[in-house]
Amino acid sequence: MVVNSIRERTIAENSMVVLLQGLQGEVTTVDLRNECTARGRVLNVDAFMNVRLEDVLYRDRQGRRTQLQDLFITGRNVRYVHIPDHVDIMETVQNQLAKIHRVRNFASEGGGRKEFSKKTK
Amino acid sequence: MRTEYYFRHGAGGNFSHDSLLRSCVAVSNMEERERVSETDRKETASNPELERDADPNVEEEGEDAETLDVCSEHFNPLRALYAPAAPPLPFPNIKCFNNVSDYESFLKGGRGRAKPENVEKKRRKAMKGVADPERIERLKKLMVNNPVAESEEGESSSSSQPRRRRKQKPLRNVLTRMPLCKGSPLGELYRCVQERIRVKVHIRTFKGLRGVCSGFVVAFDKFWNLAMVDVDETYREPLLGEAIYHEKALTVSRLFEKLRLQEDPGAAEVGEKQEKAGEPKETPEDRSDRPAESRGGGRTAEPGQSESAADKRDEGNVSQARRKYGKVHTRHINQLFVRGENVILINPQPL
Repeated sequence: MVVNSIRERTIAENSMVVLLQGLQGEVTTVDLRNECTARGRVLNVDAFMNVRLEDVLYRDRQGRRTQLQDLFITGRNVRYVHIPDHVDIMETVQNQLAKIHRVRNFASEGGGRKEFSKKTK
Repeated sequence: MRTEYYFRHGAGGNFSHDSLLRSCVAVSNMEERERVSETDRKETASNPELERDADPNVEEEGEDAETLDVCSEHFNPLRALYAPAAPPLPFPNIKCFNNVSDYESFLKGGRGRAKPENVEKKRRKAMKGVADPERIERLKKLMVNNPVAESEEGESSSSSQPRRRRKQKPLRNVLTRMPLCKGSPLGELYRCVQERIRVKVHIRTFKGLRGVCSGFVVAFDKFWNLAMVDVDETYREPLLGEAIYHEKALTVSRLFEKLRLQEDPGAAEVGEKQEKAGEPKETPEDRSDRPAESRGGGRTAEPGQSESAADKRDEGNVSQARRKYGKVHTRHINQLFVRGENVILINPQPL
């Protein structure tokens, strides 16, 4: 759900990549820098905006369509990401930030699991 | 009688000697002594009063009260100081000072000077027992199983006690950083977010302008990544090969000019004149000539290139209905995320 590296988590937390991370599982279109488009389900987005898509319809500049099972796009090559209409931008960002916040505090309170069994409210 | 005698002598210092002799004296004697001393004092007290009453008889009657009245014009402070009883005060619960400078520093606010932080501290100390509604609200938010708690706080308040202590650090994430930009160009962008001002975002191609996105910005970050809604994108895909060198750089006005010409071929002539007038230099202009030529065709033609020409005519080659090369396109996208790297500039639209 959230990346394991603290560095990546911090980078993501302070940039709009969290919005894209919130889109994980949705079907979106990614417009690339080279005027190609890729439409598929978002598997994973990392802090550098590298995107992994599955079940992709890749359309190149000339308009030729290609079906791909798995596609990895380097973050720098992204130009646009179309956000599905049913996704609320602010809500998605806030949910993602909450998840990161939770994970961070979970880890920092020393012991993770131990906390839940010992501590009472 | 004997006790009286002893009392008077006790004042003179022989008291201790006598008390040793009389150590076996009963308590009643001592009590008597005390009772006597009281009456004695009354006697002594009454004497000066009598004297006092006698004095004003010498002076005018009625002035006595005035000289001792602090509020009157005839107040005699020396007299009031030596009066056996305190002068009648209009405010019996008044605060008493030792000197004038005492009073001065009291006026200035007590022990220290009335610095704002001291004043604040005093106020808070005074309010210590009183419940602060703001504080109550804050604590409520951290409570578990409280329906008031928001989603973020609610999820993170599973162990609220240690969390509260740790939460001293201010929360910093992409959303909190947005308002921090005030005073910088990004701060201006934040204003557009807040006031829901429509903006035009110029998007770049590898060299030059690709197009313009017109929409509302919902969120942004320091890289100028934008989350936009209600976007109308007007763009032209970059030309290939030789064309780049021959054509004049695409600008926004040219972009929209081309779009207009595409949509309305009849306006080509007028457009051409306008464009020629607008440009000071008369360089061989492929772009502006072509609209006039391709009036009938209704599309902006390319400078002669075999490859592109072939592509243009040969529409049946590709499976889908291909977009004509070099055309200006428009599309509407409801929600769009733009990577900041591709942004040239952002133009808030006139209010």
